[in-house]
Amino acid sequence: MTFNVTEVLEIPIGVGSITVESLLYFAVILVVGIAVARVVSTNVRRALMERLPKSERELLVKLVYYGIVLWALVIALPQLKFDLSGLLVAGGIAGLVIGFASQSVVSNLVSGIFLMFEHPIKIGDGINVAGVSGSVEDIRILSTIVKTHDGIFTRIPNEKVFTSNITNYVHNAARRFEYQISVRYEDDADAAIRIIKEVIWTHPFALKSPAPSVFVDNFGDDGVNLTAYIWAPARNWWDVRTSLLWQIKQKLEENGIEMPYPQRTVWFADELKVTTGDTGTKGAEE
Amino acid sequence: MMFGRYNDTFRYEFGDILVETVRIGGLLTYQRRCEGQTFERILVSKTGEIIINPVEPVNLPKEITDYLLMEFSPMLIEPGVSQTVYLKFPIEVGVFLEAARDIEVLDVFGLGTQKYTLYGPPTSGVIARWYQSAVYTEAPPVESFREGVMELSIQNASHEWAEVSCAVFDSVDMKIYYNDVVTTTAAMKIITPTMAETDFTDAPLRPDMTRSIELYTARKIPVINRGYLMEWGLS
Repeated sequence: MTFNVTEVLEIPIGVGSITVESLLYFAVILVVGIAVARVVSTNVRRALMERLPKSERELLVKLVYYGIVLWALVIALPQLKFDLSGLLVAGGIAGLVIGFASQSVVSNLVSGIFLMFEHPIKIGDGINVAGVSGSVEDIRILSTIVKTHDGIFTRIPNEKVFTSNITNYVHNAARRFEYQISVRYEDDADAAIRIIKEVIWTHPFALKSPAPSVFVDNFGDDGVNLTAYIWAPARNWWDVRTSLLWQIKQKLEENGIEMPYPQRTVWFADELKVTTGDTGTKGAEE
Repeated sequence: MMFGRYNDTFRYEFGDILVETVRIGGLLTYQRRCEGQTFERILVSKTGEIIINPVEPVNLPKEITDYLLMEFSPMLIEPGVSQTVYLKFPIEVGVFLEAARDIEVLDVFGLGTQKYTLYGPPTSGVIARWYQSAVYTEAPPVESFREGVMELSIQNASHEWAEVSCAVFDSVDMKIYYNDVVTTTAAMKIITPTMAETDFTDAPLRPDMTRSIELYTARKIPVINRGYLMEWGLS
């Protein structure tokens, strides 16, 4: 029995005039296209490894990959006698339907692209957006992933991110935080200010400039209220804030300056008489 | 001298610093003590060497920036005039593990405390390690393992008098040399009275000095010698 390859290739597969040969061509073009897309996208990823943030790099890699695959598909489809010009008419109607159906998807996509260019947030930034506080885990084409401070995964559609007020806590190099510290009225406020400044100076990340500011803010019911403004690197401010306050308290106490307890001085309109069982009136106290 | 290359076990003690490798239960163990803080790692190595040398002073207490801001006595510099001065700069000690094809950072430690500052406005400035030094006309004596000598060439290329009391450097470009003293060489070119370019020069201050392995080399971070443009003032 002889086996003729040409005859086999020309066998119709039963769908229109498509033969095994054209089906093979279609498959080969598509496989080559996918292979080329993989090689190119891998090289693009490697080339941009140090130059672009991960989110933008991955977006670009995906665009390159799917662009090449789509290109291969357009080249391969005529092999299946698929008339692409027919897509123009069908595409118009389908586009209208899909457009309405995917309005929010497109909106999220466009918002995602704008977010990539505007850069209000980056992966790793501490943010508050649309009422969600946490750190940015990923910026995808359609959504932004935020890990809240409790470790909860939160997906926010990019349209919402783009149209909401975004607070980026680490966008600037440094940020300021404050302490309210009370000392007793009998304590020396100037000494307290000096001691607080000394403690702040000992912390490496309590910035030298802008200089910390410590001052008497107001006179409270129970003591003198001091306010301390301290600048710290934006990405480390919480560590500084949590470590300094206790050190300040300890140092003040070492120097005899203490926090005031709530207290009231009560004045009686009449003399207060204290009586005992056998001696009667013993005296009066305020 | 603590700096250099070590094989197998060694011990170096100087003041508050103790660096050693010992065999504990047949395992080589690196141990370090510095001002009360300790660090220990078991080393599994056949041919590896330990290298100890001074490194860029921007890693302690933890790495948050690449920049070093040197503050010194204010200097008024005439237009067109150049002057070489010497400053004391802080150093940190880097311990590396070197094999035939790879080098790894084992430990970084240093004497004394660190202080950081903001150069420029909070919105666009940079966090920098801050250090204050007097200005010297010749290399000053320095405290071992705590400070080094920086030769700074300042050139006023502007057409106006310029007052300078600080220099900000990108430590990524820093080249450190050592023998009995640690040195680096830097240049500052004043472009306008409020703007200057700074950069490090890859040259030892004296002959027969050894070049330090930089942390950026060991961490395999690609570095382009870029210098730093001080655009937020010179004082």
